[in-house]
Amino acid sequence: MIDLLIVGAGPAGLRAAIAAAENGLHVSIIDEFVKPGGRLLGQLHEEPDGSWVNGVEEAERMYHRAIQLGVEISTGVSVYDLAETPAGWSIYTTDGVRESRCLLLATGASETPIPIPGWTLPGVMSIGAAQVMGNVHRVKPGHKGVVIGVNVLSVAIAREMQLCGVTVDRIVLPAHNLISADASNPEKMMESLLRLSHLAPSSLMKIGGKFVSPKLAARFYPRNGFKIWGIPIQLRKTALEIIGEEQVRGVRIAAISATGSVIPGTEEIVDADFVCIAGGLTPMAELAAVAGCRFHYVPQLGGHVPLHNERMQTTLKGLYVAGNITGVESAKVAGAQGRVAGLSIADELGVLSAAGKEKIKEAVDQTVHTRKHALIQFNQGIEEARHALYTEFQQLTDKKISV
Amino acid sequence: MKSMRVQEHPILGNSEKKEAVTIYFDGKPYTAYTGDTVASALLASGVRTLRKHEETASPRGIYCNIGHCFECRVQLNGSETVRACLTTVADGMYVTSLTLPKGASI
Amino acid sequence: MTNKETVICRCEDITMREIQETVERFQCSSREVKLRTRAGMGSCGGRTCRGMVDKLVEQLGGPPISNEIALSYRPPVRPVSFGVLGGEEK
Repeated sequence: MIDLLIVGAGPAGLRAAIAAAENGLHVSIIDEFVKPGGRLLGQLHEEPDGSWVNGVEEAERMYHRAIQLGVEISTGVSVYDLAETPAGWSIYTTDGVRESRCLLLATGASETPIPIPGWTLPGVMSIGAAQVMGNVHRVKPGHKGVVIGVNVLSVAIAREMQLCGVTVDRIVLPAHNLISADASNPEKMMESLLRLSHLAPSSLMKIGGKFVSPKLAARFYPRNGFKIWGIPIQLRKTALEIIGEEQVRGVRIAAISATGSVIPGTEEIVDADFVCIAGGLTPMAELAAVAGCRFHYVPQLGGHVPLHNERMQTTLKGLYVAGNITGVESAKVAGAQGRVAGLSIADELGVLSAAGKEKIKEAVDQTVHTRKHALIQFNQGIEEARHALYTEFQQLTDKKISV
Repeated sequence: MKSMRVQEHPILGNSEKKEAVTIYFDGKPYTAYTGDTVASALLASGVRTLRKHEETASPRGIYCNIGHCFECRVQLNGSETVRACLTTVADGMYVTSLTLPKGASI
Repeated sequence: MTNKETVICRCEDITMREIQETVERFQCSSREVKLRTRAGMGSCGGRTCRGMVDKLVEQLGGPPISNEIALSYRPPVRPVSFGVLGGEEK
């Protein structure tokens, strides 16, 4: 029996492990990927001061710190079931059953697909797949690609692919259907694009400054788009179909109106040997569901999230969550939440001193601060949505106590 | 064909030299490097199709690349079914494309 | 419309049209769609398509997405061999 088992070796899991181990807990982490780091691994971006944040290096730093503190980290191990026991939790993995007093689920997010005719062809992959291929495995997803879906992730990763020597021919919107909804609407996408302006000040500020309202911006948006880092972002073009027989050969695109309807006679085929689908992220909470956590549907956080409080406790004893499983945010926020979880668990297990307890509050404040200053805001209204969630949690636990 | 490997990178630096190994996919040998996954090694060799759909026979390859979607599943050394994106290469590894009868468990 | 021949469940190769027809014919929930079409019952355990199925059902006038998870998760959440289930270690 160990003190804490963590599922997921991303920024949340690693920072939780470090915080818990610093307080003397016996901690293990398991992750099904081939190396620790989670989605931090592919990340590579330029800070406003011109320095580069290299996720691979950051992951390595955290990994070494955790190992130094005696944390055991197993990669290539999947969890397929878990159960509450009188002493804590049993975790069923492809490498045997583990017993732990507390359990932290830091399983991150999965990518939201946008279905398009032809998207099962080899050569079509999620945008995150291309990121991992290029930045982690150092293999190009292809030579020339089209990205479907305009959002923070797609623009950032298109830039990363370019640094890998890949030609990103263009970024277009997905075809309108019952699922793509807002993602196929130029006006809505313009709104989300304007939130990116700090990432590419020179080119986007120009657009943002010129067109104050996203509605106007979408209407006057140049048909061929504008370029960020030389990559055309075409909000007025839509991907109707991915073509190819055995693998991707290209994408059939068409021009669309400001509200997303296809303009007849504008269809053309763009050659490409790979296509990336960028539909955003959804918290990956399946293990929390199997455990029996209560859930809340919070679109601002990316979907269904296990009900939890700001100390990262769920409605189940000894079960904690941190990182993108609690809502889609940047890796820095995930890391800050991980630290909170690690300290909260140390508190539950009674190893925190009075000064240690103070640290939980500091870590919670640090999370709020990190969120406020995050370079990438995935969705709007995150802080408000989180506040509502924590209030709900509080009311629920108050009710339990009074009954 | 132009190389699919990212040899040089302005921020991440140049790829370290790694040991070359040979893996087999459907009987054909491919050069891979230690640290590669089966998925990345095959893609680097220009192989995109990893299996055909069990019922419709539509070709499938890497989709999510981090183990969520199971599209890249292959058979390893004639027995185990694994996700190519989560399996690191080893010299002499024998990988075959998978076509399971519908309803069979993996 | 090519849109309708879009695959939703990649594992079971179930199209948007099949799901749409099922929802329209049976006025059903995501769970019923899953049982009737097999969408979400493949190797990935519905991880890839569950959100799309929920959204389609909602868009077609079925039950809206709520706090409750419509397509419940059941272990094993990853396909495992009988050997592993029987306690044999990898």
